[in-house]
Amino acid sequence: MPVITLRYDDLEKLVGADKDPILKQIPMIGADIERIEDEYADVEFFPDRPDLFSVEGVARAMRGFLGIETGLCKYDVKKSNISITIEKSVKPIRPCLTCAVVRGLHLDPGSIESLMTLQEDLHWGLGRDRKKISIGVHDISKVEPPFVYKAVDASMEFVPLDFDKKMSMRAILEKHPKGVQFAHILEGAKRYPLIADAKNNVLSFPPIINGALTAVTEETTDVFVEVTGIDASVAMALNIVVTALAERGAKIESVEIASDGKSVVTPNLSPTSRKLSVSEVNSLLGIALNAGQIARELEKMRFGAVARGETIDVAIPAYRADILHNWDLIEDIAIGYGFDKFKPELPETPTIGKTHPIEDKLALLREIMVGLGFFEITTFTLTNERVHFDMMNRPRAKATKVRHPISEEHTMIRSILLPNLMSVLSQNKHVEMPQRIFEVGDVIIDSKDVQKLAGVSTHSAANFAEIKSIVDVVLRELGLEYEIIESDDTAFLEGRRASILIRRRNIGVFGEIHPDVILNFGLDHPVVAFEMEIR
Amino acid sequence: MASPNKPSALTANEKRVLLALSKIKSADLQKLAIASGLQVDAAMQVAFLLAKKGLANIVEEMLALYSLTPEGELHARQGLPEQRILAYTKDKPITLSELKKAFADKEISIALGWLRRKGLASIRKKDKKIIIEPFKTREKDLQEEILRYLLAHQPEDLASYSSATVQELLGRDLIRCTERTSRLIAITNEGRKLVRKGIEIEEDVGQLTPDLIRSGEWKKKCLRPYDIHAPSMRIFAAKKHPYQRLLDEMRQIFLEMGFEEIRGDIIQTSFWNFDALFQPQDHPAREMQDTFYLDSKGELPGEYVRNVKDVHEHGGDIGSTGWGGHWSKELAKANVLRTHTTTLTIRHLAENPNPPVKAFCIGRVYRREAIDATHLPEFEQLEGVVMDEGVSFRNLLGCLAEFYHRMGFADVRFRPGYFPYTEPSVEPEVHVPELGWIELGGAGIFRREVTAPLGIKHPVLAWGLGVSRLAMLRLGLRDLRDLYNPDIDWLRRYPISQLSDGKNE
Repeated sequence: MPVITLRYDDLEKLVGADKDPILKQIPMIGADIERIEDEYADVEFFPDRPDLFSVEGVARAMRGFLGIETGLCKYDVKKSNISITIEKSVKPIRPCLTCAVVRGLHLDPGSIESLMTLQEDLHWGLGRDRKKISIGVHDISKVEPPFVYKAVDASMEFVPLDFDKKMSMRAILEKHPKGVQFAHILEGAKRYPLIADAKNNVLSFPPIINGALTAVTEETTDVFVEVTGIDASVAMALNIVVTALAERGAKIESVEIASDGKSVVTPNLSPTSRKLSVSEVNSLLGIALNAGQIARELEKMRFGAVARGETIDVAIPAYRADILHNWDLIEDIAIGYGFDKFKPELPETPTIGKTHPIEDKLALLREIMVGLGFFEITTFTLTNERVHFDMMNRPRAKATKVRHPISEEHTMIRSILLPNLMSVLSQNKHVEMPQRIFEVGDVIIDSKDVQKLAGVSTHSAANFAEIKSIVDVVLRELGLEYEIIESDDTAFLEGRRASILIRRRNIGVFGEIHPDVILNFGLDHPVVAFEMEIR
Repeated sequence: MASPNKPSALTANEKRVLLALSKIKSADLQKLAIASGLQVDAAMQVAFLLAKKGLANIVEEMLALYSLTPEGELHARQGLPEQRILAYTKDKPITLSELKKAFADKEISIALGWLRRKGLASIRKKDKKIIIEPFKTREKDLQEEILRYLLAHQPEDLASYSSATVQELLGRDLIRCTERTSRLIAITNEGRKLVRKGIEIEEDVGQLTPDLIRSGEWKKKCLRPYDIHAPSMRIFAAKKHPYQRLLDEMRQIFLEMGFEEIRGDIIQTSFWNFDALFQPQDHPAREMQDTFYLDSKGELPGEYVRNVKDVHEHGGDIGSTGWGGHWSKELAKANVLRTHTTTLTIRHLAENPNPPVKAFCIGRVYRREAIDATHLPEFEQLEGVVMDEGVSFRNLLGCLAEFYHRMGFADVRFRPGYFPYTEPSVEPEVHVPELGWIELGGAGIFRREVTAPLGIKHPVLAWGLGVSRLAMLRLGLRDLRDLYNPDIDWLRRYPISQLSDGKNE
């Protein structure tokens, strides 16, 4: 999740309050303070609030939350007379584009840094790592409108950011760090997207890299912002960037985007609207606010809100990406009201608690095994075929493998418990004998959970007779009639192994573990073991 | 203190040991055992009892014990080189070159020095020949005597031998010395007085037997008292895993609060794990680097697919915008190892859409995380839901506060949170004196985009709590891996009571 660095001097200026009340209240709007330093604080914001991914956006929210300035933030948008054309050629590759011009910036290293991290965080969150959107901010004084967004041949050359000589777009994808990182997004494309000016100077190669020509510096006062992508979320990203810049006093101007003989003007910063009823708010939150109070809480959260009888008309700022449904507004009302003001109350309807029959069975098995002097252990269900089959002297059988294991140790989900018990013994070689342990729990067979019980006993005199008694008493305690037949399980010693049958179904095995298996696990004392399925 | 000792107050074994001591005055345990006819550990027990009664003294002293080195053992069997050479001379002068025919150079060079030092032979030069001539009268070889003694008795102390000779043998690397604490038991004056009064040994009884009880014989016998302070053998009580005990404690709390326990499969379709919970199909949490995918695909529940697709693509008919874009049935079929137990509660609600529903479960969940002290690829999650007409956000806080209070956390607070499938969302925190406020899970009210497509009409309060953090706090663990890599010794030593005492510490 994005961590935003809030420099105190900047934050205090933008909010118009001292840093201490701001830092105290920030967690209550939905954030985690990661670190507080002398000059700045690092704060983590939730991924559904990209409008808070900049100090400017945080300041806007905190002014409302602290009551310094509430209600909808209004941003004037003047026409810029700058236009850009989307050529048909780029539509199959990356069809969506929104643009704006922002003038009158006073940038310093800190605010440039903030702008860069805002872009990166938007690329990550809204942009799904640039797949859905990518943003370019350009020094407009270096280029000449009108602009064009088109697809060009991979041999097209320009000087990319961070380099000082021309490279072809193909070379950028192969050699430029950003090219290497994001080339996969353009995989399969025969031509690549490009934004250029009237003289074919390159502004950017979306979603990979900007041109060096239009790089933003401290001298930059006027910028051209473009957001390309594959769906309508490009508009949201543009709104978040330009309103953040406007928070520093810059002026937003619109750009005309021509495509297929039609044209639209962006950005569109007009709020969307929703109607809330007093009753839906109060019933969801369990409190009793009137329409006026609800409107005030919404204004605190920087919505426009007008109470009309039992409903509230809400105007949602164009930078809020998280309002999909009325309940999203109700959460903001709760935040505005203050989570600490809610009085917890248990639900009224009486109900009766009930355990799950499988858990009851497992508890029973634990009781039996503990009564027999076995210690319970818990282990991972993820394992690997080497331990699960090879070390047990058993042929590799069908296993539930995971597709991208994190290590060689965890490539599949267990279908039996015994190898885990053997591993535990091998980790406890130094511990006093006799050792008797068991595990009861889930394994996976044919994609379904199955419960099994397994136990092992190791000491110098462990033998078949001991484990047979154990198996017998477990089954007797469970009230199960069983028979045993000779087993051919190679994990056990021939002549000292048996299968457990219940109504002719094989449910498990017990006996003396084969010396080869004992040695495989680095042990030397005799080990007797059993494992059975629980139904 | 007046002496309470009377011969009749002594057990038979005590009498035996006291009598033995009165004869041998003082002895170490081995000797005492032999003299009294008892086993060594029994003799020790009795010696301590006698000491407590003031009849014997136990003095601990460091004892130097000697044993043979491999070379020493060889010489103890064959004789020292100098003695073997003497024997070879048959008391007649012999030249070195003759000697060299029968002995190795090394042995000869050792032997010559000692022949001279021990005054066993003269060594002189004559006509460029070295002649060895044994003296007629020779002292007995003390070194060899010690070697032979050790061969029969080692390890043994050599207090009765000349310390100079012992030092010589140590210097020759034929014996070595180890130190051991030895207990020397001696009779006291009081003990002697008692013995003088006359001690008669009659059989006393260690173990009460059915025969003794039935026959009434036990009344006549002397039942040997135990030294109640003598150390007993350490044994261990088998138990269920402390972690399981903690999980059961949590289960108990929810059962008492009227919740029904549910269970479900580890392998789930992406549909139930993600889509039914309104997680967009391009959500980062669904990617390969966070979720364990399997090669298999599962069946989709036909009755819900249409609704879920609608709500993802355009919000359905509940006044939501949805996520936009295209919702793929194929992606929803991909099987995963469940990443949260919410997949079980949502299925349970879909199958039981009529209020009230109060359900919980504790189950293993899987995340594609590299293993370290605080991250594991699998761990337990505790999940709970309440679905009922008119339940509210305050009821959600009520359930959470009640649970944490019952777990022993007095201070609970709530902060805004974010989870893709709840709105409002909340992060409960509890106060732990030495750690401050710690986050113990996430909660919220299921979004309408989650409940409506499944036919659930009333609000659903939901929470998922990471149990492992709680387990580390309560079990005093620093490394999560310890929960799943059992140290048998730790399990044996971990007292059952510690868990209940460990509350909120």
